[in-house]
Amino acid sequence: MPLPPASGTGRYFAKAAKSIRLLRHGCTNRPFFHISVTQRRRPNSLPVIEQLGSYDPMPNMDNEKLVALNLERIKYWLGHGAHVTPPVAELLGLAGFFPIHPRSYMTAWRNRATERENLAKEAEKAAEDKDA
Amino acid sequence: MSLLKLLKNNTRNVLIKCNESQLIFISSRKLSIVPSSYDGENPAPKFFSSGIQILLKRLTRPDYAKVFRKRSNSNAPMLETPQYKFLTDEELQIEKEKANQSADRLLQMPPVVKVHEPINDVLSKDPALVGFDSAKYLFTDISFGVANEHRLIVERDPDGILRSCDHDVRKRLNQIYFPMLGRKIREPLIFADDEKLHSLLDRQKYEYVLDRACVQYEPDEPKFQKVTSITYQHIDTNMQYDLLRSTRHFGPLAFYLTWHKCMDSLMFELVQTGAIREAVLLMSLRHAVHGDLKNGADSDALGKQVLTTPVQLSKSEYLTEEDIQLDNKCIECLDAYIVNNSTMKSQQGLALQGFREYYQQMVELSRGLKKAHGTA
Amino acid sequence: MASKILAIRNVVNKPLNFFVNKIPQYQTTGYNLKNISTTTIACLNFFNKLPAEKLWKSVTSVSNAGAKKGRGKGAGRIRIRDLNRGQIIGTGKINMLWPGLSAPVIRGRELLKQQRLPDDPERMEKLIKLRDSMTRFRRLRLSPIERGWSGSRMPGRSIGAPDPVGDEEFTGFDTKVLQLRPLLIMKGSLGRTRNYQAMVVTGNGQGLAGFGIGKAKEAPAALRKAKNRAGKKLMNFDIYNGHTVFHDFFTAFGKTKIYVQKKNEGHGLKCHRAIKEICQAIGIKDLRAKLEGSNNLQHIVKAFFVGLLQQRTHQQLAEEKKLHLVEFRAENEHYPIVVASPSVVRTKEEIPKDETLDFNQYIMNDRVIFRRKKFPRFYETMPHYEIFLKKYEKFRNHEKIRLNLKVEYGEIKSFLTDKYPEPKEEKET
Repeated sequence: MPLPPASGTGRYFAKAAKSIRLLRHGCTNRPFFHISVTQRRRPNSLPVIEQLGSYDPMPNMDNEKLVALNLERIKYWLGHGAHVTPPVAELLGLAGFFPIHPRSYMTAWRNRATERENLAKEAEKAAEDKDA
Repeated sequence: MSLLKLLKNNTRNVLIKCNESQLIFISSRKLSIVPSSYDGENPAPKFFSSGIQILLKRLTRPDYAKVFRKRSNSNAPMLETPQYKFLTDEELQIEKEKANQSADRLLQMPPVVKVHEPINDVLSKDPALVGFDSAKYLFTDISFGVANEHRLIVERDPDGILRSCDHDVRKRLNQIYFPMLGRKIREPLIFADDEKLHSLLDRQKYEYVLDRACVQYEPDEPKFQKVTSITYQHIDTNMQYDLLRSTRHFGPLAFYLTWHKCMDSLMFELVQTGAIREAVLLMSLRHAVHGDLKNGADSDALGKQVLTTPVQLSKSEYLTEEDIQLDNKCIECLDAYIVNNSTMKSQQGLALQGFREYYQQMVELSRGLKKAHGTA
Repeated sequence: MASKILAIRNVVNKPLNFFVNKIPQYQTTGYNLKNISTTTIACLNFFNKLPAEKLWKSVTSVSNAGAKKGRGKGAGRIRIRDLNRGQIIGTGKINMLWPGLSAPVIRGRELLKQQRLPDDPERMEKLIKLRDSMTRFRRLRLSPIERGWSGSRMPGRSIGAPDPVGDEEFTGFDTKVLQLRPLLIMKGSLGRTRNYQAMVVTGNGQGLAGFGIGKAKEAPAALRKAKNRAGKKLMNFDIYNGHTVFHDFFTAFGKTKIYVQKKNEGHGLKCHRAIKEICQAIGIKDLRAKLEGSNNLQHIVKAFFVGLLQQRTHQQLAEEKKLHLVEFRAENEHYPIVVASPSVVRTKEEIPKDETLDFNQYIMNDRVIFRRKKFPRFYETMPHYEIFLKKYEKFRNHEKIRLNLKVEYGEIKSFLTDKYPEPKEEKET
């Protein structure tokens, strides 16, 4: 294994702040995220303290997005006061582990609004076409 | 199971009314087999009861030469140099005990259980999340040391409902995050394509099909029970029971046939090959599963007596007086079964008559031998 | 001048073919004046005043100093050609028909006349081709099956079954040459004399085999002697399950030490080439042998034969130890198979504490094969290999994925390809 493993080789400072965040792996045009716990004030290119899960934002054949969560370790790090970034908090909220993140509601509301607008526009267009 | 019998006689293209009252078109080229599954009463308590397990193990007739044969699908990718040891009598005995244990492991039967119920468990409903995403979110708890069946796998649907996943999704995600060697995420062609499955069955690769099914499916999956039931029925119609003897699949086969009360051709084969004691064991299995035999108590008592004798892998040359007594009892017991419960009365009766004559000769021969040796 | 005259005399005494037509005139003037004109013609030039041998020598010879340096050897060396080959009397550059010389005098009822025929333009080319074919260096080429260990040399080659002794024929036997070497001896009267020594092994591939050494003045005679001697010294060897030896063993002859290991079916012969030939002669198919010490070939052969002869059968081993000998095979899930049982089995109390019970240790007589440390491949320690590994990390599963896609779709595409087709396809449409 020439590259360091995704989990568990980062330097650990007991008193420094930790954060649970998404780290982009994958390649160009193909995002893939690791959910990892890292030192909060460290660049993302360094090895992480521990990998806690993964998130694949591209829907698969059955139109599903797969999320893996090591809930046992997430609980442990939350107990140690790790900060959770909003994208991770959103995922945990959707999983039913956290309360739903407000941003999720906002996104849903905005999506519904644009959908409604689009529908209204289409209806107008259809009406115009009919009149013409 | 009269339905099955009816199917066996069919050779033309037929339309058959199935028990789910749906119409299934069956071509005459393939064997007309209707797959069946354990979807009524739960067979597990009976299958796992110690009496029936012992009977099934004995009916497997384990021949160690076949149990420990060289397998092409074993874990050893290539042959190794044999190892040698100098052993005393006691050490040899210990090694043989170990071998018996590994034989038990190799012959461990795939469980026979009821088909699982669909999971329909809504955890929360949040209509405010409608429109968040058009895709489903699947969450898998990958905590260390949790068994696959207890793993927490939930889905958030686009309509905002959080629910537990159904079996097929659970299986797929378990395979993605905790892959099992040999199991495929996509269903292999031999199970997806009926043509391929039937071509394998026609070539009598029963063990291969059953082994693959054991790897690919869980025992409580409907697809597993469908594939195995097709295979068992194929074996039953072709009377190829010997291909499964000494393998882990013979017990479930015997149980399947007994459960559906169509073990008469197996009984016929046993009588024909002179395995009269095993025929009695099969009777007591029938009685243990259904309890509908007239001389059930007799067969149970006789079966217990038979279980104390060693497994007969080949026909014995020499008969002792106890053997003769036991075998005569077995013949009487079988006679009663054929008269009262059998659906193949004439064939089994003829086979039993043939065995009786052959056995009489054997008895005379061994008694004569005894006299000649002066041991009588 | 004197040498010139001598040379001329030589030419006269041994007239060459191409001189025949032109008889030297000045010699015969004394008594055959009728046919000849009085004017003398000097038919002498560089090419006909010397005989062919001398001419060729002048072309091909190398100076003494050059020969010492090794010149005039090998592929580039000039060879003597017979220029008369392919030339027929009566035919030449001008294609003439000479009745009685190059054609019959009477053909049918017609009397043939001397006449000129059309020229053959390819005549010279054919001649040159023929001459070239004489000089080309031709090495003895053997088919890959026939050839031995190296090129066309004898060691490793098959020389057939030994000659029959009386009525007994060696059917099914084959002999392989293991060694053929010249032995040089100084003798007072003869100087350095050359003898050939050959060592061969013969066997029928079913357990019968023997080796022999023969000496003679010539190589073929030495080989024949060795072969026949090997045929007279056959030994019988038991082969375990028809493919290998009964157990590992150690054997030595002089300073040569051989560790032989029993191997599973399909392992093949991984040993010294001479041991491989011997095994093939006996019929052993799977075995590993490690050589230590001297690699004197005759010692290797002798040591290996001695080792094979000193093998003990399983029954003998069980009797020696007074214990069951049990075989465990990985392919049979380590099911214990008792291969030999002694008449009396010792109990655990009867076995002394310091006795070696390990089969391998017992059979090798406490000898252990020296295993050399495995060094990393030459590139593995280099920095570029680490860079390559790091870069390759990203692509490590691509091959498998490509294969799976080909299995699923028949080509490399995904479920998204229909939605977002490749630009190449767009161009075509």
